[in-house]
Amino acid sequence: MRLWVAVWAARLVGLVSRISGRGGSSLPGMVARRIDPLVLSKLVSRLSKGVILLTGTNGKTTTAALAASLLQCDGHPIVHNQAGANLIVGLTSTMVQAEKWRVYPRAALALLETDEASMPRAGQETHPRAIVVTNFFRDQLDRYGELSTTVGMVRKAISQMASDGWLVLNADDPQVAFLGQDQQHVIYFGLDLPVNATLEETGDDVVDARFCPRCGQALRYRQRYYAHLGDYSCPNCGWSRPIPHWTATLWDKQSHIVTVRHGNDLMELPMNMPGIYNVYNLVGAVAAAMTQGLPAHEMGRCLEHFEPAFGRMEQVMIRDHQIWLALVKNPVGFTQVLEAVGDWPESSKWALIAINDRYADGQDVSWLWDVDFETLGPRLGIDQWWVSGMRAYDMALRLKYAGIPDEKVHVVENPNIALDMMVDQSTRTVTIYVMPTYTALLDLRQHLTQKGYTRHFREG
Amino acid sequence: MGWTSIKKSHLTLLHLYPDHMNLYGDRGNVIALVHRAGRRGIDVEVVAGELGKPIGWQHVDMVFMGGGEDSHQSRIAEDFLLRAPELTRRLDDGIPMLAICGAYQLLGHYYRTVDGQKLPGIGYLDVTTEPGRPRAIGDVVCETTLPIVPATLVGFENHGGRTFLGSGATPLATIYRGQGNNGQDHTEGAMKLHTIGTYLHGSLLPKNPHLTDLLLSWAVDPSGSLMDLAPMDMSLEMKAHELIVARGEKVR
Repeated sequence: MRLWVAVWAARLVGLVSRISGRGGSSLPGMVARRIDPLVLSKLVSRLSKGVILLTGTNGKTTTAALAASLLQCDGHPIVHNQAGANLIVGLTSTMVQAEKWRVYPRAALALLETDEASMPRAGQETHPRAIVVTNFFRDQLDRYGELSTTVGMVRKAISQMASDGWLVLNADDPQVAFLGQDQQHVIYFGLDLPVNATLEETGDDVVDARFCPRCGQALRYRQRYYAHLGDYSCPNCGWSRPIPHWTATLWDKQSHIVTVRHGNDLMELPMNMPGIYNVYNLVGAVAAAMTQGLPAHEMGRCLEHFEPAFGRMEQVMIRDHQIWLALVKNPVGFTQVLEAVGDWPESSKWALIAINDRYADGQDVSWLWDVDFETLGPRLGIDQWWVSGMRAYDMALRLKYAGIPDEKVHVVENPNIALDMMVDQSTRTVTIYVMPTYTALLDLRQHLTQKGYTRHFREG
Repeated sequence: MGWTSIKKSHLTLLHLYPDHMNLYGDRGNVIALVHRAGRRGIDVEVVAGELGKPIGWQHVDMVFMGGGEDSHQSRIAEDFLLRAPELTRRLDDGIPMLAICGAYQLLGHYYRTVDGQKLPGIGYLDVTTEPGRPRAIGDVVCETTLPIVPATLVGFENHGGRTFLGSGATPLATIYRGQGNNGQDHTEGAMKLHTIGTYLHGSLLPKNPHLTDLLLSWAVDPSGSLMDLAPMDMSLEMKAHELIVARGEKVR
């Protein structure tokens, strides 16, 4: 009875807040939990295949979206928080609103993207059948303290996993791979790409965890793809990268095909997104989906119509101008987005960087100084840099100190006005890359929607 | 003394433990020092001081050391102690050092981690650090007694440790907004001769160009008799600075 009231009250609140245009994807979950604190555990207890929790610093949303495409491919319904509502109230909102009329979801499985800080709670309340971890980078440290705190929170969730549960881990990230130490059922994914795809040694590249998680000595990399992701071993204690079960072995950027190896089988998968980080997202999604025993030869077909999640290198047209939107939230992610912009062949590129420092963005903007604009700046081919947002001057300063000439940098504090000005002042041959933090991205989306310029976005 | 009479056109900046102690954009401080020196025609060579690696102390003109996670901090603490005699000799000569967060803690007598581990520091500053909860996190606005204009310093703090000043320590600044050393006595950081220890990230120096210039002037002339470096535009820097000051005023 209590559950029934909780679910219906939450749905009502959700309905009202949608009608009144307030969005607010966490409110129904908050209401439901207030009425019945056990609402999430009760709802997931009826899922015959249980819950998959997907966490990590970067790539959660895209990996979950890819995995959802695979899992839903043949019409099997799953519950998935595609709104990116990934705190415990967001997970609860997703579960209570999974059905229109019945209380319990009909789906057999829930795939829940989960914020690292919500992992202990989510683990305890859902006893997941699988936990997928993408990577650990420094992100919004002002919220969680230090990276080791974040790793600890994920460990707590793992200890709550069902006894037959699978751990799906990025083998190329030492701290993530080490979570699999002494665990029963672990599936590793990783990259084994030809050498030319690897990072040039810049010396000042962003590296968060290059020390052995077992003994603390500096790791040695045979190959490094970006940041601390690669094929490593410890010269001191001998611990090394686990051999991945699912490996991306080839990435054909021209035909947008990624080849994934599993045992002796090779499969070719479409991937219409730039950036090596998306290769990780793809192979991670494949490994996650395979815990459910999907037929491997079906995967390519299931991904054919995949569209990137909201603001994750997403394309929008404004009056014949090509605009790309890519969320930036931490040094490694920002660096990867810039690398992807550099890969683009367009002759004329303008950039708009919008930095806010609200809670959801991370209130500390120190991380901008960890993005290697010194090395990247000159080789991106960006003719004009526009900077916006609450911390526009911090960003302008970052570019100035990286040696980007003053005349190429324009400060317009309001991102919406900046984008309009850029469209007005540029010719059609100019491609505009918009790189906002989270709340700036939400503001820009609303602006674009009001002007009628966007394709249908997922709920943010 | 005018700028043109200064002969030093090359400085060596020792960046201690950049691999272990590099949290929260601390690299930005090095970038700021190099940038503002470079614009004045002073070439700065950044030398990394890593675990066990020999350091040519006689050539060092200034020292920077950043913060690190507890686990990283404990890894370098022993090595840092071994270097203390040479480092403090140079600091006593008057070369400037900027120590942020974890580095500041290790300049004191000791730093006790949340796990109760007591990491001995080099005791150059008369401060001690105890663990505390919750972490002190947020914008900081404070006012320093250093001879710089404006007197405000701004940054972002993020630390679990609470630092207490001994009778021999001089605070860097008085807190207007934020927690500072310990959240109780309204002090932030500590200083001795030309060494500054502080909790301010942000990164600190890009948004506090007046402090950057003061450190550079000490590097050029460790006796401290040089009054000013050649003046240099800092309007963009001060816009970033004043944004945080203005937020502090709203709260006050």
